[in-house]
Amino acid sequence: MDTFLQQLINGLTIGSLYALVALGYTMVYGVMKLINFAHGDLVAFSAYVGLTIFTQFYGSNALSLVNIVIVFCLTAIVVAFVGVLLERLAYRPLRTAPRLSAVVSALGASLVIQNAIMLIWGPNMEIFPADVFPSTSWNFGGVIISFTQVIILALSAVLMIGLYTFINKTKIGTAIRATAIDQDAAKLMGINVNRIIVTIFVIGSMLGAIGGLFIGIYYRGLTFDMGWLYGLNAFIAAIIGGIGSIPGAMLGGLLLGLFNAMISGYISTEWAETFTFILLIVILILRPTGILGEKTAEKV
Amino acid sequence: MNKTTSIATLFIVVMAVFPFLVDSAWLSIGITFLVFAVVAFSQDIILGRAGIFNMGHAIFFGMGAYTTAILNVHFGFEIIATIPFAIIVPVIFSILLAGPIIHLRGDYLLVATIGFNIIFEQVLKNNVFGVTGGPNGIFGIDVVRVFGYELWSDTAIYYMAFGLLLITFLIIRNLDTSKYGRALYYINKNEIAAKSMGINISYYKLFAFALGAAIAGAAGCVFAIQYSAVSPESFNFMQSVMFFAIVLVGGSASLPGIIIGTFVMFVLPELFTEFKESRYLIFGAAMVLTMILRPNGVWPATFGNIPTFLKKKAAKLKGSK
Repeated sequence: MDTFLQQLINGLTIGSLYALVALGYTMVYGVMKLINFAHGDLVAFSAYVGLTIFTQFYGSNALSLVNIVIVFCLTAIVVAFVGVLLERLAYRPLRTAPRLSAVVSALGASLVIQNAIMLIWGPNMEIFPADVFPSTSWNFGGVIISFTQVIILALSAVLMIGLYTFINKTKIGTAIRATAIDQDAAKLMGINVNRIIVTIFVIGSMLGAIGGLFIGIYYRGLTFDMGWLYGLNAFIAAIIGGIGSIPGAMLGGLLLGLFNAMISGYISTEWAETFTFILLIVILILRPTGILGEKTAEKV
Repeated sequence: MNKTTSIATLFIVVMAVFPFLVDSAWLSIGITFLVFAVVAFSQDIILGRAGIFNMGHAIFFGMGAYTTAILNVHFGFEIIATIPFAIIVPVIFSILLAGPIIHLRGDYLLVATIGFNIIFEQVLKNNVFGVTGGPNGIFGIDVVRVFGYELWSDTAIYYMAFGLLLITFLIIRNLDTSKYGRALYYINKNEIAAKSMGINISYYKLFAFALGAAIAGAAGCVFAIQYSAVSPESFNFMQSVMFFAIVLVGGSASLPGIIIGTFVMFVLPELFTEFKESRYLIFGAAMVLTMILRPNGVWPATFGNIPTFLKKKAAKLKGSK
């Protein structure tokens, strides 16, 4: 029972990281019908940017709450800027091109970001400092929860509730939902589709940046090609929840995190990825639209 | 003789005499080029002709190579005797793997095939049944023996790869003029229209998968012979991305386009070794740029163009309106 509860906590932590990243995928897919392959590498990039800013602070004074907030904000802004640049350079010129051209462009952009990371920070593993957050942890009858985990769970929950409210209650959120349903009709209703797409990239990249920072703080080891792995997992989470659906991405992320934790806790860590993909393929066969995805009839 | 035929003839003649013009380093680059060109053509049957978003093509290439390696090293088969297996095993797996997911819409299929590729890589690395050799792969694959002759020289391997390329050309030419090729073309252009014409979509898509897997498997066999070793890195997800990109950057269903794509992706990096560090950065940028400037590829296919007499007729009709 202890193992189960411990893996439940770990799974929820990993799951909220997946969910933060998956939101970026699902929002872009919802509006542009494009798998943004570069998003995973953007997440890796943000971990590196965060690390660099952290080490800059680290030399002068100890990390205080204010500093950490500043680091998070700075990283989010830098990554959002790169995300918007990505959309401008790699995706906007291809909006009317064949679907596959956009996919290749996304793959190309992913390679560019991944190798830019390698050229800037070098091919070796970088290590995040251990004491970003206080290393306190609590023990509830054998189940250990660390301070970092609490922060990750709490902040992810706040961000997700915030995003959900933003999408459902504000005017821009309504415009985003309208654009996702029908771009042309949205244009006719006076929605500036270009601006909506930029907004999506800003929000997606910022959430991804926070996810990436947490991945860095939680796992500590950074490699330039880690973006693929987290990106793919997050994308699978988005599909499990129902791609294009924002609550779906949150649910999918949490479920995939739990699934991963249970597999590595009870079955094997060597085959973890294989099980993830088997789960994906089973879901694709049984329910291709995901758990919360709406079944839409194919237009003829 | 029109322009296309003369370019094709020139290409084949140059490739045929290539081993006599160059030194051994160039010869091995030539073999690599031919093997990857064959794999790219087989991917083109699936992705370019049938329009199936397959991003796991390295699986079939790898299955061919590993089948040859395992049968030769662990079971003592002659290389020649492993060729049929290197073709049949990928075909069987392509049908088993693609069968349940063939009805999925584009992007879902793409993610599912990525999944297969990652599972394949993990199966190889974790040394399943103790025959795949784990992360290091399998070493010491035998030389090819035919009627007592040992074909160990690079020139011999070059001509094996060249022969395979010619066979692939022949298969593609026959495919284009057959019922199957036309069916795939219709499915690619408009799946719903093809369905309403009575074309069995799943059957033809699986056919494309099986044919692509067979050719890739044969190429894998030559790859195993060339290096006399196989390892999981050669067949990982990144390779699949490369094959996917070659077809679309070169031009779907376009033979010269794919030749150019293979050349750019696999031969140019060998020439500019000083850029090896930033190789993929340049590739990525080139992929983005090509798609923006030429969304249909560097050399788009002309197969299926509207005949000129129909165009004239249409222009006339437009004028009379």
